[in-house]
Amino acid sequence: MTTTPDRVSAPPRAPRGVTRLAGTTPGTLTLLALMMIVVSTLGGVISAWSVQTRADSLEELATRSEPLAFAAQEVYRALSDADASAASAFLGGGVEPAELRSRYQTDIAQAQSALAIVTDGGAQAPELAEALHTLSVQLPVYTGLVETARTNNRQGAPVGAAYLREASELMRAQLLPAAERIYRAENANVVRDQDASDGLPVLEVLFGLLTLACIVVAGRFLSRRTNRTFNLGLAVAGGAAGLSLLWIVVASTVVVLGVADSRTDGSAQVDVLVDARVATLNARGDETLTLVARGSGQSFEQHYDEVTTELGGESGSDGLLGRAAAAATSQSVRDAVNSAVENNRAWREAHEKIRQADDAGDYTGAVTLTLSGEPGNAAAAFDQLDADLVRAISEARAAFAQEVAGARGALTGLAPGSLLLALLGAAAAGWGMWQRLKEYR
Amino acid sequence: MRSRVLGAGVSAFALLAAACSPAPNTSAVPVGSVGAPMPAEASELTSAPSSSASSAPSCDPTASLRPGGLPAAGQMPAGSTMAEIQARGRLIAGVDQNTYLMGFRNPFSGEIEGFDVAMAREIAEAIFGDPNKIQYKVLTSEDRVAALERGDVDLVVRTMTVTCERLEKINFSSVYYEAGQRVLVNRTSGISGVDGLGGKKVCATKGSTSLAAVANHPVKPVAVSVPDWTDCLVMLQQGQVDAISTDDTILAGLAAQDPYTEVVGARFTTEPYGVGIPKGNEDFVRFVNAVLNRMRGDGSWASAYQDWLNTLGPAPAPPAPRYRD
Repeated sequence: MTTTPDRVSAPPRAPRGVTRLAGTTPGTLTLLALMMIVVSTLGGVISAWSVQTRADSLEELATRSEPLAFAAQEVYRALSDADASAASAFLGGGVEPAELRSRYQTDIAQAQSALAIVTDGGAQAPELAEALHTLSVQLPVYTGLVETARTNNRQGAPVGAAYLREASELMRAQLLPAAERIYRAENANVVRDQDASDGLPVLEVLFGLLTLACIVVAGRFLSRRTNRTFNLGLAVAGGAAGLSLLWIVVASTVVVLGVADSRTDGSAQVDVLVDARVATLNARGDETLTLVARGSGQSFEQHYDEVTTELGGESGSDGLLGRAAAAATSQSVRDAVNSAVENNRAWREAHEKIRQADDAGDYTGAVTLTLSGEPGNAAAAFDQLDADLVRAISEARAAFAQEVAGARGALTGLAPGSLLLALLGAAAAGWGMWQRLKEYR
Repeated sequence: MRSRVLGAGVSAFALLAAACSPAPNTSAVPVGSVGAPMPAEASELTSAPSSSASSAPSCDPTASLRPGGLPAAGQMPAGSTMAEIQARGRLIAGVDQNTYLMGFRNPFSGEIEGFDVAMAREIAEAIFGDPNKIQYKVLTSEDRVAALERGDVDLVVRTMTVTCERLEKINFSSVYYEAGQRVLVNRTSGISGVDGLGGKKVCATKGSTSLAAVANHPVKPVAVSVPDWTDCLVMLQQGQVDAISTDDTILAGLAAQDPYTEVVGARFTTEPYGVGIPKGNEDFVRFVNAVLNRMRGDGSWASAYQDWLNTLGPAPAPPAPRYRD
């Protein structure tokens, strides 16, 4: 602030000129007028810039980072499901069932489409380049291996199973880890944009209060020196500054609360639910691959135990599902998660039966229990559990979108509005002081 | 930012937009070569695995225990290993599901079939009078001895060569088939036998005698190990290895799945196959030997050969059993 008068008067003589001016009433009036104009204009520019930054972050959140995080999640989900479907189709023996084949094809199409979205959006992010490269280069290789496996199967050649194992290895060792890295990065962007948009409006409020303080000081000086208690210019300037301050405080409060709600009602829940869904898909893949390996699948079964414990804890209602239930803030999400817990229990019981049958030597029975879609069997329970999680995720995403839209709405017109009010205040203050200065001519 | 640009006029907008929008990165498409996918746990061998010839004490591996009389099916002598199996209600057999003709999963039915599997079913038949009272556990080459030592399986019938090294940990039945190691290559490779494999990549399964034979061969091939034999065929088809070397029985099964491959060269090892049985279960060894003896005599060995291995030529005489008593 101390440098601003320098810039206004002629630079070389400025210090002496300022002290001489400050000594006289018109000089003080001039300085006060300049100060109000500068503080108000500067405050307006800073507020407008700050509000615009906040609005940009919210726009980024609503139109870019959250949709990208969802698309990245979709890549992971579709790939994981494709792998489980391919394994299930193989497990049945003979020509694969039409519905598993079409599920696999849909998964691959969805993965490709979601990958295109992520690639498009992540083209500028160098940290994702490697993972995106892995996915775009290796996904066609994966589908090629699955088709080779299928062709060999139809010829009755056992080498088909080896191609399928190689495909699954590629999926688990390269594609899924790359998809997970992308999801984590996109999710971090959601958090980043939320952090960037829910800060307190410290700078705006500070300049608003400073502007008001300048106006009050100028008004008191005027009333002491000139015996005129009312100055229209200063009144308008004070009104504009007060209005701007109020607007900023109210709008920012709405945004801060909205973004906080978008976390608790939206992204925080989506986070847990997506993890739950990934665990569900992994567990299903492990369940199927244990049987495909036929007796040498202990590592898959161990991994199944790990992911199901992660999913539902020891009881089936703790773990990720327990956290999702605790985090749920709306009835619809709570209902979906409760239903997911029930279906997870049913699945666990079905899995017990599968393991008992397989361990007792009834391999065919175990395969039937795994693939049959009858109620109470593993395939049915898994499908329902997955559907519950999808429902919960889309509910939580809708809540997120609604909160962010509300926050964005609160900022409508605020950036130009606060700038205009600041300029109006500066002009009014200058005009009001000019009325008094004129009297000294 | 965009609104400001718009305000500045159409020409300025066009200029600015051209300058600001990221140009599509067409110059650096970062694809040199795509790493070929590999079967899980495939690896190139850096040091030769211990060979049965060099490290194990010398012994007479193919001499097994002399069989006693064969009890009637369903009436196993009390206290015997067979009685335990009978009480359980099923024979647990360690087999392969990836070796066409010997032990493989029929893709149409999902059932496990093959010459090895026929032997196991014959043993189940002898215990229960029903060849279907059997539970298959799929083992990789590497798992076979460990599964027997843990008692996970009653027996292993999985192209398992009788060696002195393995005899220290497990029992073997009398020899039920005599195979020999040869080489499988692409028809256009120009390789005509094991002597042409110097410096070439040659695939075999981990824990097999074939892998040791490849790694220790004087022409110095580069041995590549994988879990299952079909993994070798995948790598050959994908051009990641130049040849597969193992028993002619296994190679015949692989060649049957790919008409562009052929088995070349003469046998350079002899691989006598025995049924693996846990140490201690000597009564079961004698029982299995009695079953094998019956199969040699009543034509069921020849019919199993006819069912699965006739691509190798007309049925030879079954290997004569040798016993150490």
